[in-house]
Amino acid sequence: MTDIAVQSVAPLLNVEGLSASFAGRHATIRIIDNVSFEVKPRRVLGIVGESGSGKSVTVRSILDMLRNPGRVDSGTVMFNGRDLVGLPEAEMRKIRGKRIAMVFQDPQAALNPVMTVGEQIAEALVVHGASRAAARERAFELLRQVGIPDVERNFDQYPHQFSGGMRQRVVIAIALANKPSLLIADEPTTALDVTIQAQILRLLCDLKDELGLSIIMITHDMGVVAELCDDLVVMYGGRVVERGTVADVFSAPRHPYTAALLHSVPRIDSNTGSQLRAIPGSPPTPARLPSGCAFHPRCRFAVERCRSEVPRLEELAPAHSAACWVSAADRMSVPPEEEGLVRKARRTLSANPILQIEDLRTDVNRGSGSFFSKAKPIFAVDGISLEIRPGETLGLVGESGCGKSTLSRTIVGISPVAGGKITVAGRDVSAMNPEDRDTIVRTIQYVFQDPFASLNPRRSIAQSLGEALGVAGVNGEKARERSVELLLRVGLNEDFLERYPYELSGGQRQRVGIARALATEPKLLICDEPVSALDVSIQAQIINLLEELRDELGLAYLFIAHDLSVVRHISDNVAVMYLGKIVEMGTAEQVYGSPQHPYTAALISSTPEPALDARQEKIVLAGDMPSPANPPSGCRFRTRCPIGPAYFPEREICSTSSPNLKETATGQKAACHFAGTPIKAGTRDEAGNG
Amino acid sequence: MLTFFLKKLPSVVMVAIASSVIAFVLPRLAPGDPAVALAGSDASPEQLAAVRDQLGLNGSLYEQYFHWIWNLLHGDLGRSFAMRRPVATLISSRLESTIELAALALVLMIIIGFTLGILSATLRNQTTKAALDVVNTICLATPPFLTGLLLILLLGIAFPILPVSGEMGLLRDPVKGLQYLILPAFALALPQAAVVARLLATAINSVRGEDFIDLAKAKGVPPGRLMRRHLLRNSLGPAIVAIGLRAGELLGGAIVIEAIFARNGLGQLAVSSVQNRDYLVLQALILGAVLIAVLIQLLSEITIAALDPRIRLEG
Amino acid sequence: MTVPQSKPMHRRWFNPSIARYMEAFTTTRGIAALTAIILISALAFLAPVVFPGGYDVQSRESLRAPSFLHFFGTDELGRDLFVRSIYGLRSDLALVYFAVPVSMVAGTLLGLIGAVSPRLGSFVQRCLDIIVGFPGLILGICVVLVLGAGWTALLVVIVVSGLPGFGRLARATLLSQQQREYVIAARTLGVGKWQIMVRHILPNAVDPIIVQGAVFVVSAIFIEAALSIVGLGLQPPEPSLGTLLNNGIRYISRAPTYVLGPTVILIIVALAFSMLADALNATVNRK
Repeated sequence: MTDIAVQSVAPLLNVEGLSASFAGRHATIRIIDNVSFEVKPRRVLGIVGESGSGKSVTVRSILDMLRNPGRVDSGTVMFNGRDLVGLPEAEMRKIRGKRIAMVFQDPQAALNPVMTVGEQIAEALVVHGASRAAARERAFELLRQVGIPDVERNFDQYPHQFSGGMRQRVVIAIALANKPSLLIADEPTTALDVTIQAQILRLLCDLKDELGLSIIMITHDMGVVAELCDDLVVMYGGRVVERGTVADVFSAPRHPYTAALLHSVPRIDSNTGSQLRAIPGSPPTPARLPSGCAFHPRCRFAVERCRSEVPRLEELAPAHSAACWVSAADRMSVPPEEEGLVRKARRTLSANPILQIEDLRTDVNRGSGSFFSKAKPIFAVDGISLEIRPGETLGLVGESGCGKSTLSRTIVGISPVAGGKITVAGRDVSAMNPEDRDTIVRTIQYVFQDPFASLNPRRSIAQSLGEALGVAGVNGEKARERSVELLLRVGLNEDFLERYPYELSGGQRQRVGIARALATEPKLLICDEPVSALDVSIQAQIINLLEELRDELGLAYLFIAHDLSVVRHISDNVAVMYLGKIVEMGTAEQVYGSPQHPYTAALISSTPEPALDARQEKIVLAGDMPSPANPPSGCRFRTRCPIGPAYFPEREICSTSSPNLKETATGQKAACHFAGTPIKAGTRDEAGNG
Repeated sequence: MLTFFLKKLPSVVMVAIASSVIAFVLPRLAPGDPAVALAGSDASPEQLAAVRDQLGLNGSLYEQYFHWIWNLLHGDLGRSFAMRRPVATLISSRLESTIELAALALVLMIIIGFTLGILSATLRNQTTKAALDVVNTICLATPPFLTGLLLILLLGIAFPILPVSGEMGLLRDPVKGLQYLILPAFALALPQAAVVARLLATAINSVRGEDFIDLAKAKGVPPGRLMRRHLLRNSLGPAIVAIGLRAGELLGGAIVIEAIFARNGLGQLAVSSVQNRDYLVLQALILGAVLIAVLIQLLSEITIAALDPRIRLEG
Repeated sequence: MTVPQSKPMHRRWFNPSIARYMEAFTTTRGIAALTAIILISALAFLAPVVFPGGYDVQSRESLRAPSFLHFFGTDELGRDLFVRSIYGLRSDLALVYFAVPVSMVAGTLLGLIGAVSPRLGSFVQRCLDIIVGFPGLILGICVVLVLGAGWTALLVVIVVSGLPGFGRLARATLLSQQQREYVIAARTLGVGKWQIMVRHILPNAVDPIIVQGAVFVVSAIFIEAALSIVGLGLQPPEPSLGTLLNNGIRYISRAPTYVLGPTVILIIVALAFSMLADALNATVNRK
């Protein structure tokens, strides 16, 4: 389909000059301002933006579903020749779910917990006039269509009996019930693991082709855009900053923000020797939007005019518009940035590991027994061995529920050790007596995932840092000096001492979290998903900071993340975890270059890449990770393994014997009876039995 | 469901045992010898011994306790010393009055509580909503005895419509009985109903913020159905917990209401027994009230479990 | 690397000092509540100065309706009911101003005991649950049975009946705070149990406890009144609002205005403290 052909087709939905605001107690805050775009039949429009960009408010405005006290101020939303703005509620209800349907971000919260999934799908039909029997019949059909197995039984199940991926399939089934012509998906895969995300993206792609749907896809992930979308709208500070086809925008971005966004995320195949090109600062909140172009404080091209005048969205190339004074002036796309700085040489590694773990097990069900019976043990960490040397970074990858956080919490003594041995700086600390804890505190510190939760909102930054310094025996005036030093070290300054966490942006809080961890001068930092709660444009800043600190202070990291690209960028060695066990471990080059375990291969293949050439056949794993309370016999991955007994019944050994972690031909270790077997990419797209 | 019940059972049994121990120990904690207090200080040793025997004060504490429990389990509550009648007879003669009062109050509490709660969560008109909230706050801050006094002043004395003191068994004369019953029951129920209403409204408003409500709206579900199938069913929990806890308060409140409306129920019996130091009557009443309160709480927990598939199916 | 600085905003709500609660008294509701409480308390505690004759001045004019001479009328012995009501209020306020703080502190400590040992914490919680199992006045009857009617019994009843509420709030804060990441962060830093308690858990427990304290003042006054109405509270001749009502009910058809005065005072006190609780609640929840 050429651009000319696209131009000639009448749009299905045309949003023109849409503005919405929230009426606060003291002031009305404009959330989205003059937003315009169109959705063409059978095309997928991606709306990309960070938190506070107004992307969710935009689509909620379309269906008049803004939460109180939000309201649409002006603009038109033309859908099939009718303006949806100001439509009476009763008329709007006939469109919601019937002509335009919506899929929400968090499938855990989007289903009514006290209604069966079947009832909830049928309800979507009943409220639009279908008879009960017909609705029931169609609900069965829909469940089959979205890939729910064993429909007869699952129809009468409640949402809590479904896994996250299956619930999202149900939400999609509800959306499709009345054969709408437009589907709005608000971050539909953000709450899901990468292998489940691949399943859902595949499903949406198939459904679009099968049913001739148009889709609006809201996301913060350029990788998802590259994978699924045809057209793209980039939002920043409540305004559209760039609009065009995905191909045009990716190959020649016209707005500096789009360009920076595309380049700031690490690639899974990236050069790990250079710094990421981070965007400085943080995204604005709608209440305090910078004057002129909202992006100007963070833009390296900004000129005087950007500070005072809001740029208009102008067509700078055929079907490709941007709102930027600079690129409008020279009609050029944003020049690619110079290659990031090459990092300083790393300190040499000494031979004695700072942390050594042997055959560690953790029972997460300990102490939860009832009056009569002792609880059955659940080993979230089940026989893990690894070691980290000074100055070395071990990346630990795995999906939620694989036990990676439990592992890190066991190391620092928050969860009790159920078996095995932990050695810190040469001392066996498995018993966790007071001297052991002392050794751990002096050697290992922790950087938490959520900087909003890991700082006490009632305590100033000085108090939070002072607490950590107090443990290290630094008090009084000395503590203040050290606090300033620490803040400077993490890219903040003295002004922050007297502030409270709510006055800081997410990135600034995470910097304080890192400063606090450095207060006791540890040798090893455990970083538990340190960037996953942050906006995309902030992630690169924090990763760069962590790398800088490591190189200057000779720190070792245990870097835990679900994002494979981030782990690749920062790690020397990588361990892949699945259901309490390590399935593959080796250097980053080995693991990413030639994955030997089918799970690693599937993870790498499932990760969406923000590049157009990345659209290739993926290995989509079937089903979900089983519960650690009930692990499968033999190899724990066998229920989902694309080279296992589910597809090759003759491979019985996988069900009977648990593979050990052993050296493979390419040098790394993998726990697979058939390590290195090539995997056919393709559709294995049916959810398992939960 | 059964596992849920079995899980709850130990704590119910614990409370039952604990309250029986408390009821047993109380008279023995009071200063002075209960037998002397009852028989009078000039009683002869023989008289005292007889009183002791009647009160179950012979033998070690353990023996006394198990003897008392044994008798209780066999339906023998002992004899009231002050009234010179079996405790069981005394209680059963007053039972109907209090049960009628508490039961009607319970029904009123549920009806008024749910009506007010749903209204205050659905009203869109800010003025009516504010007015309703004020009414609710006043009900909440006014205890049964104040409501009772005001009702007596208003409907009994200023505009004499309903009788304000005395009673009539519902079984004997339903119409007259209800006339006597309606004011005290209403006074008893109103503040508790306000608690139920406030909790229900809060629960509904917090469920309103859930994603699945947005999904239901996005499906095109109309407001009435949204309230019934989505909001209310997910908000019942806190309201039912409140009903369970407040039902116990109804029993306690009944004592004062009976005093104000001159009803001859168990509350009045309890008060006069305290004044007469009639221990055996009090022990039976305290134990009975606590057990009923605990059973109602258990019942409310079971109801919640039955309504929530997450508890019903997983136990 | 530099980071653009955000302007420091006014920091009001996270300052964990007493001054924070003063915010409650900048709203209409808060000012009204505070004024009412100060006036009521001053009138009550200055009663011996304002009415030096005491509460037992008898006259022949018994059971009179309210007049300019006797705002609330007179009782069966011809005593001025307004004077008696104010003296009664004095007894009530003295009782609750002493008993409520005791209950708050004791309940909070019992709730936080789980920090020392989780087992002990859940045991204490079981015990508090048993108190909850004793509905309202039944608890009062039990205490009066042991201690006899009077000041001590009332004090004990009020303190004990407050324990489960305060204990539960403190325990809920303890359990939720122990799961918070910043508490876990403090633990991984090696901060001691007591310091975590003082820095992180206690400040968070104080807010709900203070609000509940204001709510409980109302309940405490009503406990006194209810026990006195059935004759198990303060004993004559000492007046309390409850004992006045107890007497008044006997004459309710002959002198309906008898109960009116004490009732009005009870309602004013209840509304004042409820409003105070609302104002405090709005302040601590504003973030």
